[in-house]
Formats: sequence, C-alpha cells, structure tokens
Amino acid sequence: MKNNKFVCIVLIPIFCLIVVFLIAPLFYGLGISMFDYNPLRADNPFIGAANYVRLFHDTLFYRALAHTLVFVGVTVTLNIIVTLILAQLISSLPWNFARGLFRTVLFLPCVAPMVGTSLVWRNGMFATKNGLVNHLLGYLGIPAINWLGDASVVMVAMIIFTIWADIGYNTVLFCAGLDGIPKDFSEAAQIDGAGPVRRFIYITLPLLGRTFIFVLMMTLISHFQMFVQFMVLAQRGAPNNAATVLTLLIYKEGFSNQNMGYASAIAVILFLVIMVVTVIQRRVNRVDWGY
Amino acid sequence: MTEMKKRKKNPYLTANIIIVILLGLLAVLVVLPFVWMVLSSFRTNKDIRLNISSMWPDPWTLTGYAAALTKAPFVRWFINSVFVSTTVTLIVLFTSSITGFVFAKYKFPFKNLIFGVILATMMVPSQVLMIPNFLIVKGLGLYNRLGALIVPMMVSMFGIFLCKQFIEDIPDSLCEAARIDGAGDFFIYARIILPNIKPCIGSLTIFTFLERWNDYLNPLIMLNDTEKMTLPLALNFFSSQHLADLSATMAVASLVMVPVLIVFIMFQKQFIKGLALSGMK
Repeated sequence: MKNNKFVCIVLIPIFCLIVVFLIAPLFYGLGISMFDYNPLRADNPFIGAANYVRLFHDTLFYRALAHTLVFVGVTVTLNIIVTLILAQLISSLPWNFARGLFRTVLFLPCVAPMVGTSLVWRNGMFATKNGLVNHLLGYLGIPAINWLGDASVVMVAMIIFTIWADIGYNTVLFCAGLDGIPKDFSEAAQIDGAGPVRRFIYITLPLLGRTFIFVLMMTLISHFQMFVQFMVLAQRGAPNNAATVLTLLIYKEGFSNQNMGYASAIAVILFLVIMVVTVIQRRVNRVDWGY
Repeated sequence: MTEMKKRKKNPYLTANIIIVILLGLLAVLVVLPFVWMVLSSFRTNKDIRLNISSMWPDPWTLTGYAAALTKAPFVRWFINSVFVSTTVTLIVLFTSSITGFVFAKYKFPFKNLIFGVILATMMVPSQVLMIPNFLIVKGLGLYNRLGALIVPMMVSMFGIFLCKQFIEDIPDSLCEAARIDGAGDFFIYARIILPNIKPCIGSLTIFTFLERWNDYLNPLIMLNDTEKMTLPLALNFFSSQHLADLSATMAVASLVMVPVLIVFIMFQKQFIKGLALSGMK
C-alpha cells in the first residue's frame, strides 16, 4: 500500500523518540567519554582520550573486565548445557501435565523481580550461619562457606544464583525447539540402533540449529548486561570488588563517584566487547548448522 | 495411530519415572527460596535467628506484614509500579503495532534504511545508554518524576520487530479489499490488523509489563524520593533501612513477588506459548 501522509504521521513521532532516547545517547555517551564530566560541576573540560588512557592503568577496570568475561563465559556455558539437558528430559516425558508442570516451575524465578530473589538468596540461601545452601552442604559433610563474604567464592555464588534465576527461559525455548522437530528422524536413527545420547548429539542438536543460535545469542547479550545480582546480592560488588563487573563499575563510577566521563569510557568498552562477541558468534555460526 | 499407541506398552516407563523423580527433586530446589521467603515472612525475627534447623514458623505472626505496611509507604509504591507498568505497556502496544503495520504493509522511500537503523539500535545494551539517558532525562526536566520511567520507554524496538513479523503474515488482499470499500488507514489498522495479531499483542503485553514491573536499574538512576519509588527499588531500600528486621523485609518481598508469581501461574500457558512464539520469529 502507499500513503506517504499516513506513514509520516506514524513514523515521525516514533523516529523522534528513537533519536532522542536511543541514537543520540549513543553518540552523547561517546562524546562524554572524552570529557572530565561531573554533573555537579559547572566546568567540565575536554580531555580527549585521557579517560581511555586512565582505563589502561586502572587495575579495577581490568579486574571488572576479567570478572565479566569469566562470569559470562562460565554462566552461559553452564546455562546452555543444563537447559539443553533439562529440555530434552522434559520433552521426553509422555505426560502433558508433567511437562507443563516442570516448565512452569523452572520458569518461576524468571518472572520474579531479581531484586527480590537476590534479597532472598542473600538472607536465606547464602547466609553463612543459617543459610540453606550451607545447611544442605552440611549434610554432605562440607564445612560452612562464607559465600558472600569470601572474595574467592563470591563469584561462584553469583554464578549459582544466576543459573537458578535464568534457566527457565532457555529451557522453555529449547522445549519449543525440540517439539518442532519431527519425530521421524529420531525414530529412524533408533531403528538403525543409535542410543539416546547419540541420537541427541547427531540428530536433535543439529536440527535444533536455529533455536540454538538464537538462544546462545540472547543469553550472551543478556548476561553481559546483568547488574542486579552484583548490586543487591553481592552488595555493590563486595567483598573487595571481587564481584564487580563492568556494568556495576559503570554505575559506581558514574553515579556514586559522579565520574560520568570515566564511566562513559567504560561503557564504550563494554559496548565494544559485546559487539566483538556478537560478530565472532555470527562468523562461527555462518560456517555450519546449515540443515 | 492413537489406538496403536494405547495398546502398545510404553517401553520407557521406568526411564520416564526416574526422570520425573529427578526433575521433581530439582523442582523442589528451584521453589525452595520462594517457600523460605513466604515462611520467613510469617516468623518472628527471634525465631528466624534462633531456630536454624527449621523453616517452619513457630509461632506464626503477622508482625512482619504490620511493619511492612506501617513503617513504609507500601501502597504508594504499589500504585507507582502499577501506574508506570500499565502506562508503558499500553503505549508500547500502540507504537509497536502501528509502526510494525507501516513497515509491513506500506511502500515508502528509505524504508529498508530506516528499518535497518531500528534493528541496529536493538543491539545496543541499555547499560551503555545509562549515563547519557540520565543526562537527557535530567535535561528534559523529568528527573525524579515517574515520567522518567515512562517517556524513554515508549518505543520498543523488539515490539516493532515482533509486530512487523506477525503483520507480514496477514494477506495483503485483506487490507486492499478494505481499501476498496473505502476504509481509511487507521481503520484498517484498528479493525483488520489488530484483531489478527492477538497472540503477538498478548505476548508483547506480558513481556513489556513484566520488564517494567521488575525494572530496577532505571528507577535506581532516575528517582530520588522515597515516595516516588517503584516496587523493586523500594524493596531494596526497605531492606537496607530495616537490616535487623528480616521478617518485615521478607514480608515486603512476599508482597512484591507473590502477586507476580500467581499471575504467572494463572496465565502460564499463554505465557510460555508467547515466549516460544517470540523466540521462533
């Protein structure tokens, strides 16, 4: 259809909003990163690349970057493996009711606000003295762990919590993907004598290709942006910044220290990291999976 | 076919039962934090601190809820959250569907270029925009107002994309027939397009509402007054104000989370279908 007047009436206001709240901020952020910008000060001098130079000498930045990469790498890998297995197990059940029930239960943590679940885990699950996690570990003879107070294990706690909070999404998506695969292939392989594990690796996984790429992509991007658990569950990345990731560092520098120029430089780096991962991921996926 | 299946004994019955038991154990672990939260909200602080080995309230008490409702403007927070989430959801539904309609059914210059820009901005992480958006909102005079949580969220790239995909599946002939009968553009949108993309509207409603309802980062940056807070921000604020009163904190947490969980369980079928749908597209 054609009607340029109607198109303009719709698109102009929409496009204004997109420009003001999405496109302009991107360049604005890039611009601020070249200033010594403090919103409470009247004079904010242009300092060129000084914020970026400072980044390269900032050990906290390197640590936050390392924490982010480790957190995303480990959590996303575990998440994909666990959810693939869970989805396969759930889909293999012949009872509709059981399938629905397990999907629903696994999805519960995804709909609850993460601030709330973080508070529950901080006070109830990960508490050293009467936390349920240590209580359960106690049955196995493992001594109490100071999950949120010990710099060497706080990241493990973050990973455990995030897996709990996020497996529902991918399980549901993989279940939908699995339900979309015709049973014939698997049955044919079974007649040829392939066991369940081999059927899963050689038949199901390749046929899941498109869903798999989509899920991996979304999970990667969303995990780079995780913030709440580091802010609330680990209480501002404590102890000793052992749970400070890039998003939290941006917040702390920008809003607690009012160093918005420096924080914007970190944000630009985070943006580049996500871009690089996305591009690599797309390259890798272009090669194969063409079923 | 079905008869054959019924007559044939399920050869995997034992395996299925083992899987159900394993998944059942996992399900118990997954809901355990919620159970702990709700039970703790009915316990006294002394009981939580001293009776470590039991989760069960002894005695049951409502002091946590009383503290939650009297020591903090809980109702105000709740109204703020309802107002912000509902407004944003309604606006996003409108902007997404009408923009999706335009991109799916109209020919106009630079269409692909404009849509490409929209797709590209979808990839920009919100944390990167956190600081400039804060400054823009401040510049617009919206800082510390609920509008700061509404105006920047009125357009959703994901929503536009999703609606466009769905509207493209509606046959062009339907729109053209209405056109010949003299229907205007907006009439076609309201009477032909909207009724035909109900599943899309449904899942977009759920996701937008939930995203706004659970949002913590934006209120954290944009709001300052206790009175203006939405629930997630208020919950963390309350907990930091009443560190020693775990019972009250868990009461507020329950008041914030249990309604969301109940609504989800009520609509879980549409919910999960919607998620799968948006994932497939």
